[in-house]
Amino acid sequence: MPDRHADSDDVFAERLARVLGAPERFGEEFERSLVAAIQADRPIRWKLRPRARMGTAAWWRTPATLRLSPLAGLALAAGLAMIATLGTMRVARPTPNVLTPVATVAAAPVVHDTVTLVRFVFVGQAKTVSVVGDFNQWGATPTPLEATSNGAWTASIPLANGRHEYAFIVNGTRWVPDPLAPVSSDEFDTKSSIVTVGL
Amino acid sequence: MCDARHAGAARAVCDANHIPGSPKDVTDRTDADLVMSAARGDVHAFAELSRRYRDGYSRFAVRMVGNRDDAEDVLQSAFIRAYRALDRCRDPARFGAWLYQIVANECRTFVIRQARRDRRLVHDELRLREAPAASTADGSDTLEDVQYALDQLDVDQREAFLMKHVEQLSYEEMAELTGDGISALKMRVKRACARLRELLEEVHDA
Repeated sequence: MPDRHADSDDVFAERLARVLGAPERFGEEFERSLVAAIQADRPIRWKLRPRARMGTAAWWRTPATLRLSPLAGLALAAGLAMIATLGTMRVARPTPNVLTPVATVAAAPVVHDTVTLVRFVFVGQAKTVSVVGDFNQWGATPTPLEATSNGAWTASIPLANGRHEYAFIVNGTRWVPDPLAPVSSDEFDTKSSIVTVGL
Repeated sequence: MCDARHAGAARAVCDANHIPGSPKDVTDRTDADLVMSAARGDVHAFAELSRRYRDGYSRFAVRMVGNRDDAEDVLQSAFIRAYRALDRCRDPARFGAWLYQIVANECRTFVIRQARRDRRLVHDELRLREAPAASTADGSDTLEDVQYALDQLDVDQREAFLMKHVEQLSYEEMAELTGDGISALKMRVKRACARLRELLEEVHDA
């Protein structure tokens, strides 16, 4: 076994660099996929996959289970009903020709110590709408919104307390942050929206 | 047919069947020329730029994020961001350096978000699975061992070590790419070496 203490940093680094310097190449498929993404004007988000060191464990892909007591389960059901009502009231003045997405946090649908059901509402013309955010790994499993008779799109998602970032995906390709919510930008100026739960 | 924009370029290929902006058009053109075409919406020109730099930056991305699948996603994202920001590429002749900056930033962002998510979701028993794999019988470093150790570094140290020792950039080049001072970068590389040494000793002692 090599005596690492005897190595200077440069010699040590050189030895590692020989190992790390092995080439990594992606084939022509890379450009085909790149061109397709550019032409489709897809939003830029990567999937956060499980690390290989975890043996590509299925734990990440396993749907999360909310730990709710029976009482909390009843509260959740009640909360869902209440939020649905609030949501209907909220979208009572849609502007059909202008995209005015709105995300709302239900006023007090207390569900559990650390989980609150958040209703996302998008008002505008679209064929499909989904919401992506840190809570669904930015689209690894996008959450579809359902169309209502008012021309709004809604989905309710249980979120842990804290700050969450999200955006709507309209018609499968268009990235639309919520103009009425606080905005977050990454260093490349991709805008997302912020919702703060339970704080 | 040959685009008038290209007529003055000695290396431009013009023939009767030539379609400007097609894949055949782009291979002999300079980066600056391709950047200008791509900025006007010529996606084939940008694909050629991607072909020129993709392999050069793949290794950095794979080592930074720790695996090929994520690296390919991150590299794609970085290249798409670059395409959308071409109008902000001030010096098209130095497109490669500009693109590298975007790739490095994208890798950093990915690593930071990945780490945040892991902190939130990884439980103790899962951490056990992260134990490094057995090293070779003679104690030499395998790529898996070294990548494991690299993954344990914070993102600044990881980036600095890779740029300096794997991509063999000068500290001046690193400073230009990262916007950090040379003395800070030297310190990061030194600390990265020390930490990698510790981690690999643990691997070999396991």
